[in-house]
Amino acid sequence: MNLAALMLADSRFPGGGHVHSGGLEEAVARRAVTDEPSLRSFLVGRLRTAGALSAVFASAACRGRYAELDAELDARTPSPAQRDASRVQGRGIARAARKAWPSPALAELLGVTPRPHHPVIVGVLVGDPFEAAQVVAYHAVTGPATGAIRLLGLDPFGVNAVLARLAPDIDEVARMAADHADTPPEDLPAPSAPGLDLLAEAHDRHRHHHDRHHSEEVRLFVS
Amino acid sequence: MAPLRLVPARSRRPGPVLVHLVSAVTAPLGGDDLELRVRVGPGAALELRGVAATLALPGRHPGRSRTLVHVDLDEGASLAYLPEPTVVTARACHEAVFRARMAEDARLRTREILVLGRVNERSGSLDTTVDVRRNGPVLKQTTRIGTPEVDESPAGLAGRRVLGTELLCWGDDLPEAVSGDWWSLVPLARGGSLTTALADDAVTVERALDAALARHPGSARPSDSISCSIPSDRSHR
Repeated sequence: MNLAALMLADSRFPGGGHVHSGGLEEAVARRAVTDEPSLRSFLVGRLRTAGALSAVFASAACRGRYAELDAELDARTPSPAQRDASRVQGRGIARAARKAWPSPALAELLGVTPRPHHPVIVGVLVGDPFEAAQVVAYHAVTGPATGAIRLLGLDPFGVNAVLARLAPDIDEVARMAADHADTPPEDLPAPSAPGLDLLAEAHDRHRHHHDRHHSEEVRLFVS
Repeated sequence: MAPLRLVPARSRRPGPVLVHLVSAVTAPLGGDDLELRVRVGPGAALELRGVAATLALPGRHPGRSRTLVHVDLDEGASLAYLPEPTVVTARACHEAVFRARMAEDARLRTREILVLGRVNERSGSLDTTVDVRRNGPVLKQTTRIGTPEVDESPAGLAGRRVLGTELLCWGDDLPEAVSGDWWSLVPLARGGSLTTALADDAVTVERALDAALARHPGSARPSDSISCSIPSDRSHR
């Protein structure tokens, strides 16, 4: 795996990804995730839906056509809270990437939009369709997994083992995504995630409600 | 014999032309390939309604069944496509595609309710795609039902038996999302709104879709327009 891919996957990468739980915080608030088995169920579902969608767009971004990818990913992300979370993380990565990996491809992407979708900028920076898909598929589960340790006080070694056992699933998603690297943007797969869409909107509602009314219900994560 | 009969309602009432979709045979069965193409001409208004739930069933021969509904909407055209719920029975293997290509000022409303199996029955498998373009993509998503690890996951269907979605490309959208615990009405990135609802029964899902529809500014009846104008009045104070 190339160094850019390793750095982007590292939780210490200064892209601001650590403030996102990917819907896990809302799922915990509803007691839909309470322990390792329910966390695993959440992660598998997330990987097979939102993770697969991200992986497909990361792979396709290795081939250009950024404006079309931007519009097509928007059309596959009905939840405004999720579109925003993706673009906030993309902009965070862009800030670090301008210094670390300036390139004509990056300049072209940021010319299309200064707030690129997260998987699209990862695809541009990694450059290899399979590895780019692996990084974003891993991102799809590692953020929520880390969130579960903080929110539920789960055993870090246990959660780490849950993540490690997802390796074959992550690679399968990444292989499927890499097979679509040359698919025209409008024909790219569009797996939906109804549960995540609803959790994301509810999380957003609670977070803003808290800001306005100082309610007791505190949210640690941005999404 | 056509598997689907189109029955126009005999009525001189003003408003859209109402046509009922009536299944003339038991379909879709495994191996069936059904296709319905609809074109709504300039300025025309059509309402296509189902009369009974669709049961996706396995066939005697292996293989999946497919349904494609392709819609073209010309300038100023409008279509409400409102089939009854689809029940995905055990061992069914069905693929449904709803595809619409719209002129810039055309209007579209489409509702889909999916039920995972009959009572006390496990769901078969269903891939259903909504693909709508209006000068670029409006909404594209494929929902896959019948993968237990995703159906049960809070990220997927959260263990609920019924999923409802309703796309509204019908005039003004709300500037921000509104949502409850297992439903939301959200503005899409490039115009149009989508309601999503999950519940254990179809009645609850239908109520959530109806409640969201009533809050959608472009779809509200003329008599509702007075209450719709109140929030914008407040913003001027």
